[in-house]
Amino acid sequence: MMAAPPPIDHDDPTAFLHMPVGKNGSGAARYAAAMQCYNNGLICAEMLEIYRRCSKFDLEDPIDLARYEEITVPAVCLPNQQEPTS
Amino acid sequence: MDIKTRDVSIPADWDRRGLPGWCYHSDALLDLEKEELFKTHWQIACHVSDLPNAGSFVSFDLCEERALVLRDASGELRAFHNICRHRGSRLVTKESGTCPNALICPFHGWVYNLDGSLRGPARPESFPSLDKDVFGLRPVEMEVWNGFIFLRFRPGPQPSVAEMLAPFEAEATAYRMASHVPTDGIWTEETPVNWKSVRDVDNEGYHVAMAHPALQDLYGSSYQDEPYVDGVSRTVGQFSPSKGRRWAVRNYKKLSRPQEHLPEDLHQKWLYFGIFPNSVIAMTPETVLFYQEFPVTVGRSTIRSATYRNRDEDRQQRAARYLTARIDRETVDEDIQLTIWSNESMASKSFEGFYLSDLEYGVRTHHNHLRKVLPVYTLEDAPEQADLAALNASMQRT
Ligand code: FES
Ligand SMILES: [Fe+2]
Repeated sequence: MMAAPPPIDHDDPTAFLHMPVGKNGSGAARYAAAMQCYNNGLICAEMLEIYRRCSKFDLEDPIDLARYEEITVPAVCLPNQQEPTS
Repeated sequence: MDIKTRDVSIPADWDRRGLPGWCYHSDALLDLEKEELFKTHWQIACHVSDLPNAGSFVSFDLCEERALVLRDASGELRAFHNICRHRGSRLVTKESGTCPNALICPFHGWVYNLDGSLRGPARPESFPSLDKDVFGLRPVEMEVWNGFIFLRFRPGPQPSVAEMLAPFEAEATAYRMASHVPTDGIWTEETPVNWKSVRDVDNEGYHVAMAHPALQDLYGSSYQDEPYVDGVSRTVGQFSPSKGRRWAVRNYKKLSRPQEHLPEDLHQKWLYFGIFPNSVIAMTPETVLFYQEFPVTVGRSTIRSATYRNRDEDRQQRAARYLTARIDRETVDEDIQLTIWSNESMASKSFEGFYLSDLEYGVRTHHNHLRKVLPVYTLEDAPEQADLAALNASMQRT
């Protein structure tokens, strides 16, 4: 049996930023979180726009789209805080 | 004022006429009704249990206005105009749902926090910096009464919901309706009549014996209507002692049993509170429900309703509840037919208007409340439609 996901911390924008791709409503939740990250200076306007483009599509992975568009993915966007990639 | 001091007596001599027929098909009057009745009087949007989690929302459209009620991240209930501050798109497009961490406008993607403040516009670099409160969602006035969420789009003549419904407070509390839970969601249906024809039928029990065999079987012999006094009316149906001739009623009477939390005099009653101008909260031992009607056009209305149940319910109570729903559904269908017959009479030049029974005094008192808000209802002949609003305003001043 899979462990229940940890409860979402409403004060931590990255919690929603990392909502799994495919999950119902996750496209919108990721974009909303990205807006918070943008306000906090954690991501740039270009990356925010990637999340916006994906916001209506729960299955669209913004990281993939960013890489396809050759945008540097900020560390905060990567689930396990991997090295930034482009 | 409590329930015992309300004067619900019927005067010995009263004007038994209804509203003039033109009131049921005047576009100019409908515009006034929308502005001065519907938008300025309390409306039931939903029940607190429709919003169980942070981000749960219910949308509520009324006469070209639209609201959304939601539970914010701290669990507080909030009501906003469902209108984006950018170009006015609706923010939530569904009747209900959950937006986990923010509201996102589906048009260009502005993002709002659940407390209504603006989190940020899409493409923020294309705007000067926007104040999150100045560009936040506009709140709608909201009041929660015994679990029901009331909204009012603009200030109006009614006092608070609690004050208006104070005579019924003790009864409502006894039902513990604030802790009821949803059953089958919010139900809407469009019907081809003026909204007042729906209300006119609902405001009297004179037709019950004739039109509602199930209700008659359930409580017909004791049915009692109290008129509208200060914006609220009350109707009681005490189960008749007979076993019930009809299948649903017979079984309902068999299965419905005293709810421990209710005082004895409410064990075998269906009770209705009418709330001017267009809403009713109804209680049975098993359920509490609301229903209401809104105008769409002069000749079309939306009926909207939802039923809630006791949180703890065993199989017998559930079965009893299904039977209440069945009896209720049958009654609604019968009423819809009556509203059609009543409404079409208003278009006939040969019909000379209502002549009401003492058993229909509730209709008269509802109309009196209407006349008080919009004096043009007192005009026997239709005024020039273009002058109607100005005429009404001048009548209000005198
Ligand atoms: S109308 Fe809402 S973002 Fe443009
Ligand atoms: Fe009826």
